Amino acid sequence: MKSFALRDLIDDRPQDGVFRVNRALFRDQALFELEMKHIFEGGWVFVGMATQAENPHDYFTSFIGRVPIIVQRDGEGTLRCFVNACPHKGVRLVQKLCGSARRHVCPYHSWTFDSTGANKNIKWQKAGRYAPGFDEDNHDLAPVARFGEYRGFLFASLNADVPSLEAYLGEARKLMDLVVDKSPEGVELVYAANWKMQLENCSDQYHFTSTHPSYIRILDQRAREQVDEVVQSSIGAADFWQEDAAGVTGGTMSFDHGHVLNWGVMPVSAALPEFERVEELTKRLGVAKRNWMFNMRNLTIFPNLQLADNASSQMRVIRPIAAGMTEMQTWCIAPRGESAEARRFRIRQYEDFFNPTGMATPDDTVCYEEAQLGMAEQDRPWLQGHARGLTASVEGGNEWSDRIGLKPARSVLADAQLCDESLFGSYYRAWRERMKEVLA
Amino acid sequence: MSSMTAAEAASFLSREALYLDRFDFDSWLALYTPDCRFWMPAWRDDGTQTEDPDRELSLIFYRGRRNLEDRVQRIRSGFSVASAVMPRVAHMIGNVLVEPAGEGRVRVDSSFISNVHDVRTNRSHSYFGRYEHELVLDGAEWKIASKIIRLMNDVVPTMLDVYGV
Repeated sequence: MKSFALRDLIDDRPQDGVFRVNRALFRDQALFELEMKHIFEGGWVFVGMATQAENPHDYFTSFIGRVPIIVQRDGEGTLRCFVNACPHKGVRLVQKLCGSARRHVCPYHSWTFDSTGANKNIKWQKAGRYAPGFDEDNHDLAPVARFGEYRGFLFASLNADVPSLEAYLGEARKLMDLVVDKSPEGVELVYAANWKMQLENCSDQYHFTSTHPSYIRILDQRAREQVDEVVQSSIGAADFWQEDAAGVTGGTMSFDHGHVLNWGVMPVSAALPEFERVEELTKRLGVAKRNWMFNMRNLTIFPNLQLADNASSQMRVIRPIAAGMTEMQTWCIAPRGESAEARRFRIRQYEDFFNPTGMATPDDTVCYEEAQLGMAEQDRPWLQGHARGLTASVEGGNEWSDRIGLKPARSVLADAQLCDESLFGSYYRAWRERMKEVLA
Repeated sequence: MSSMTAAEAASFLSREALYLDRFDFDSWLALYTPDCRFWMPAWRDDGTQTEDPDRELSLIFYRGRRNLEDRVQRIRSGFSVASAVMPRVAHMIGNVLVEPAGEGRVRVDSSFISNVHDVRTNRSHSYFGRYEHELVLDGAEWKIASKIIRLMNDVVPTMLDVYGV
């Protein structure tokens, strides 16, 4: 194994106007193992929505890094998160993606646990001639070190030594507030490339007109024809991505702990399904929050959650499998109680753009794989993809963030062609912070 | 001929598959009625699929051939990197069963395997599942009024387009 020093991986010299990332971060399997341990298994990660286990005894299963977990609601309604492995032989206890169960019985030797995670039975325990040390052991399912909820979003950490969830999410909570009260529905895809490709792409305004021209042409055509049977896109109604748009069209914000937002101005219009509730939203939240709710917003909660409100409303959960392989689960998130018409509109917009079977996402994932090939070790290791906007980035917020009392650590106000990349720096600084103890 | 034999139905489905394998999209589109439904539901959990496409997510849901025409336009546009190097595709269809579904209308159940070789990455993959076709007589010709694709292996490697299933 080649050993890396941090300074060889992230070249961060603001005084010289340099921020560069080494290709090795996308390719190296030894670095990947460290990332799993220190980023995905070493801090807060998103595990699911409370609505995925809504009723007493409901549960769903997932992973934190490489560790299988179960999120379970007990009979009293309390949610907990356990390692999904029987303490006896380590067998994964629950295989189903979701369900409802008062008891989980291990398929291998029938050890039994209730919905609070407590061991209720060890088969033939009395006859087992166990030594006293065994009886002193705790036989319950192992709870994860930290588990918390922010307005329905569930997070967990296998490492106890982390800030509180509130402190970790920080100012980004105000952006999550703009998407709460939603219920999910999901699909899954895998692509042969590093997880950070997805992390970056969601925040990458620069790629849109280059990667998606085939989709943009169809939007143009649909907008001209106004045929009822095709989906009218919300993006088609906005101009933040069009090269000749004038003035401030959006920008980026970076928050502590690696969370970032890429956003674009969109009008409060019927191109979004929220429009049916515009009066209620205005009354309840005020004009400024309502306007922000209609803006294009791609929010990343480092390291594995992305909430994209653009062509529809999507939640993505990133699960790295290997340095060159990532699984992504994607969900449409929608407000409860929206009309049948608004829901239909939202889902059609989602399928049209986002699905791995849609008309835009496939062009992204293919580019990730092509990028992964170009990440092979070479004499010029530094990527040049984190440099746009370095001289536009300022400390703190701007008039747009001020309108909703949002206080980012850094921000960029952009015209349509700026397409800031400096926000990616926030990912890599958070990455460096987690890795600094293991990489000199 | 207001109904169809199993052999005729199998022949019809084989023709659709051949058009897709050859990327003969004009002939493929011509098999569909203008107001057709084209639906590939998603999996809700281990064993059940989404049932109401207006409330729940589908992998693909279209009402109206025009939407399929948009898909074809994107594939042919020359501006989609996912369609720049077209995979090679060979469909196999079997277990064809026909049921009458009213005057001039039949329901056809079948199983499919779609073998896809991605030339770009030199990887092969099979998609498999069941089709549920509703065919209607349009003059002397049968047309597809509805096609449901129940895709069994729904963890999609990178991408999946209409010719792949």
